[in-house]
Amino acid sequence: MKLIYLCLFLLMGSLSTSAQITSGKLQASGLTCAMCSKAVYNALSAVPYVEKVQPDIQQSTYQLTFKVDVAVDPDLLARAVTDAGFSVAKLQLTGQFPETAIGKDTHVTLYNQVYHFVNVNAQVLKGKQTITLLDKSFLLPKEHKKYAQYTTMACYNTGTRQSCCPPAGAAQSARVYHVTL
Amino acid sequence: MKKLLIGCALSIGVSVQAQELYVFSEPASNMPAHSVGIRQQVKRVASSGTATGGTRSSSEIMFGANKNFMWHLGFTLSDMYSSNFRAESFRAYGKYRFFSQDDLYKHLRMAAFAEFSLSQNPFMFDEISLEGDQSGFQSGLIITQLLHKLAISATGSYISVAGKRSTGDLTPNKRNAVSYSLSAGYLLFPVTYKNYDQTNVNLYLELLGQQSTNDNRYFTDLAPALQFIFNSQAKVNFGYRYQLSGNMLRMGTQGWLLGMEWLFLRKPKPLVSK
Repeated sequence: MKLIYLCLFLLMGSLSTSAQITSGKLQASGLTCAMCSKAVYNALSAVPYVEKVQPDIQQSTYQLTFKVDVAVDPDLLARAVTDAGFSVAKLQLTGQFPETAIGKDTHVTLYNQVYHFVNVNAQVLKGKQTITLLDKSFLLPKEHKKYAQYTTMACYNTGTRQSCCPPAGAAQSARVYHVTL
Repeated sequence: MKKLLIGCALSIGVSVQAQELYVFSEPASNMPAHSVGIRQQVKRVASSGTATGGTRSSSEIMFGANKNFMWHLGFTLSDMYSSNFRAESFRAYGKYRFFSQDDLYKHLRMAAFAEFSLSQNPFMFDEISLEGDQSGFQSGLIITQLLHKLAISATGSYISVAGKRSTGDLTPNKRNAVSYSLSAGYLLFPVTYKNYDQTNVNLYLELLGQQSTNDNRYFTDLAPALQFIFNSQAKVNFGYRYQLSGNMLRMGTQGWLLGMEWLFLRKPKPLVSK
């Protein structure tokens, strides 16, 4: 029996060290007061993969810790904030990256999500990295517009896979998250 | 049940800015989706030459149906139109936020609202009020701008009395008016936010007016108010309203308001990926 528990323990250990997005930092816009900050805090705490939320009321920022081995869907964070009545001004995600070659307009699939890298030099990502999301729902409108100059691909504005996105023939409606380093 | 209540009490919050929680008007912002609020107000109108004044209790429950739509249901008790305290009116209010532009520590929001009330009071005065005085309908627009610690808001609406005036009165039976408000709220304390337990103090100044569309009757009121918010949970409002100018026949030209409000932010339903 002990052996089984040991195996389970080791298995869990190996899973927990597997690559995934582990934490995030979210800044909300449209608010200044503590009551509003608390509404956002409650909404973020209810996102299924969020383990812990540490708010900084003065800065309207929330340090997020994600549950181990639960898939991270960034759209749920934006929905939580908008349901509370506000918007996301900035979202950064931090995780362990497998060896991944990226460059201008590279589309990569990581942890079941497609990420489109914008305004990055050709390089290989490996280990702990932080990415900033650029889609409309995660950025102030003026910032979203600013990054538009770095890509001509239509998916930047739709947030979903377009005919321009590799690989050819993939489902057009699939979500594509636009990110930068 | 007890756990549920404690849970609710611990998770209270609102999506409107604290300095936007006007005492005499509504902001364009809404409550968070799926939240519930309870409001209890007591209003005392001082007697004037034409009316005896009186006290009114307003109880209201508020729902955030989704991020853009909220509604209120309320009822009032008063002795303003009777010798004893009695059930007086029922009121329903709905507000839809149709525009929202957020920036860091700022927002601009617009909303449309409609409300109706059923009151058993006789229609005796020029002033139209759906807060218990008369049966009627009101619809309008609200625009609210938050700029850090200051929130300003303007409301314009059309308001109409349903029903006839009490007999013996020579003024028209049908009465309609344009109502407006211009409100400012400022967050006085805390100067710096550290946690959700700090007491917030907000100062408000509101200009409230009504212009009849039947004749040239109007009033303009000024209403300063002070608000305390405890533990990001419960609000207590103190307001005073008095007439700056006007020629309407009213229940009274000055009065006090004491209000308490609890907002319960229900634990949101777990969100599911689309």
